[in-house]
Amino acid sequence: MINLDSQLKLQAYLDGELAVEEAAEVSGWLDRDPEARALLNELRNTKAALVGYESAFRLPESREFFWSKIEREIEKQEAAREEAPHVPWYVWLQRHFFPLSGVALLSCFLGVLFIESGRSAGQFGEMEMASDDMGSYTFRDQNDKVTMVWLYNHGDESQFTDPSSVASVEPE
Amino acid sequence: MTTKADHSSASDEQLVGASKRGDMGAFEELVARHRDKIYARAFSMMRNEDEALDLSQEAWVKSWQRLKQFQGESSFGTWMTRIVINLCLDQLRKRKRQRAESIEEMNEESGGAERQMPVVTVNPTEGLERAELRKRIDQALGQLSHEHRTVMVLHEFEEMEYKEIARTMGCSIGTVMSRLFYARRKMAALLANLKTEDSK
Repeated sequence: MINLDSQLKLQAYLDGELAVEEAAEVSGWLDRDPEARALLNELRNTKAALVGYESAFRLPESREFFWSKIEREIEKQEAAREEAPHVPWYVWLQRHFFPLSGVALLSCFLGVLFIESGRSAGQFGEMEMASDDMGSYTFRDQNDKVTMVWLYNHGDESQFTDPSSVASVEPE
Repeated sequence: MTTKADHSSASDEQLVGASKRGDMGAFEELVARHRDKIYARAFSMMRNEDEALDLSQEAWVKSWQRLKQFQGESSFGTWMTRIVINLCLDQLRKRKRQRAESIEEMNEESGGAERQMPVVTVNPTEGLERAELRKRIDQALGQLSHEHRTVMVLHEFEEMEYKEIARTMGCSIGTVMSRLFYARRKMAALLANLKTEDSK
C-alpha cells in the first residue's frame, strides 16, 4: 500500500508540480512499482475524462434576455448610487467630529501623562546627583514648626553668608 | 458612433476600451462572447442552474462596475472567470457557515476511506460518447463535496497551480493536494460504479 505522501507525490508528478530531481525519482519509482503505475494511470484517466467538459455548456437563456437582465441591474445600481441622499455638512460634522474629538482628547491625556512622567523622572534624577562636595546646615524652629536646610559647596571658599547677615541673626 | 456590427468584429481589447468609455453596446458584445464560459464555470462549482445563472449575471454587473480596474495583465476572459469564481466561493462559504459541519464532511476533508480504496484499473470512460461521458461526469461531480469539487474545477478547468488554488481558497498547498487527490479518486470510483450500474 502506497503511503499518503507518496500518493500525493505521484499526483504532483502527473500535474507537473515536481522539481526536476523529484520528478526523476518518481519516474524511477514508477519503473519499479506496478502499483504506483496503476494509481498514476487511474489519476491520468480521471484527468483526461474532464478535458472539454465545460466547453459543451450553453447558458440556458437567449442573448437578448440575459443581456436585458444585466443592463437593468447595471442601470438600477447606478441610479441607486446617484440617488444616494446628500449628507448635509452638520450631519457630516456630527458623524466625524465626535469620534475625532474623542481621539484628540485621548491623545492630549496620554501626552500630558507622558510629559508628567518625564518631568518626575527628571526630578528624581536630580535628587540622585548628591555630590560629596556638598554640605548642609539644618535649622529647626520648634515654635513655628519650621525646618530650614542650607546647602553649600565644600570647595567654595567664600563665606557661607555675608558677615552682616550673620550679625543680624546673632543673639544680642 | 460605434454600431453593433462594428462590435462583432472588434477584438476583446477594443471592446474593453470602448466599455471603459461607457459604451454599453461594446460591453454587451463582451457578455455575448464569454457568457457560456462564465455560466459553465458557475455551474461547475455550484451544480445548480438557477444559482449559476444568478451568479454569472452578478459577475457581469460587477465586471462593468470594476472595468476601470482591469489593466489587461490577463485576458478579459480570464479576468471574468476569476470574478465569477470568487463570487461562487463567497456563496459556498456563506452556505458552509449556515450548516453545521458533519463528521462525514470531516472524514472527507482528511481523505476518508477513498484514499485507500483499490485502484480502478479499467478506464471507465473509454468508448463513451461525449454526451454520455458528460452526463456521467455531471453525476460524479454532483456527489463531491463543495471543497473537493472546487479544487478539481480550479485545477482541471481553470488550470490553476496548487499554490494559486491555495491562495484563492485560503488554505494550505497540502490541503489542496489532498483534496485534489481525494476528489480524483472518488471521481474514478464514481465513474466506475456508474459504468457497472449501467451495464447491469
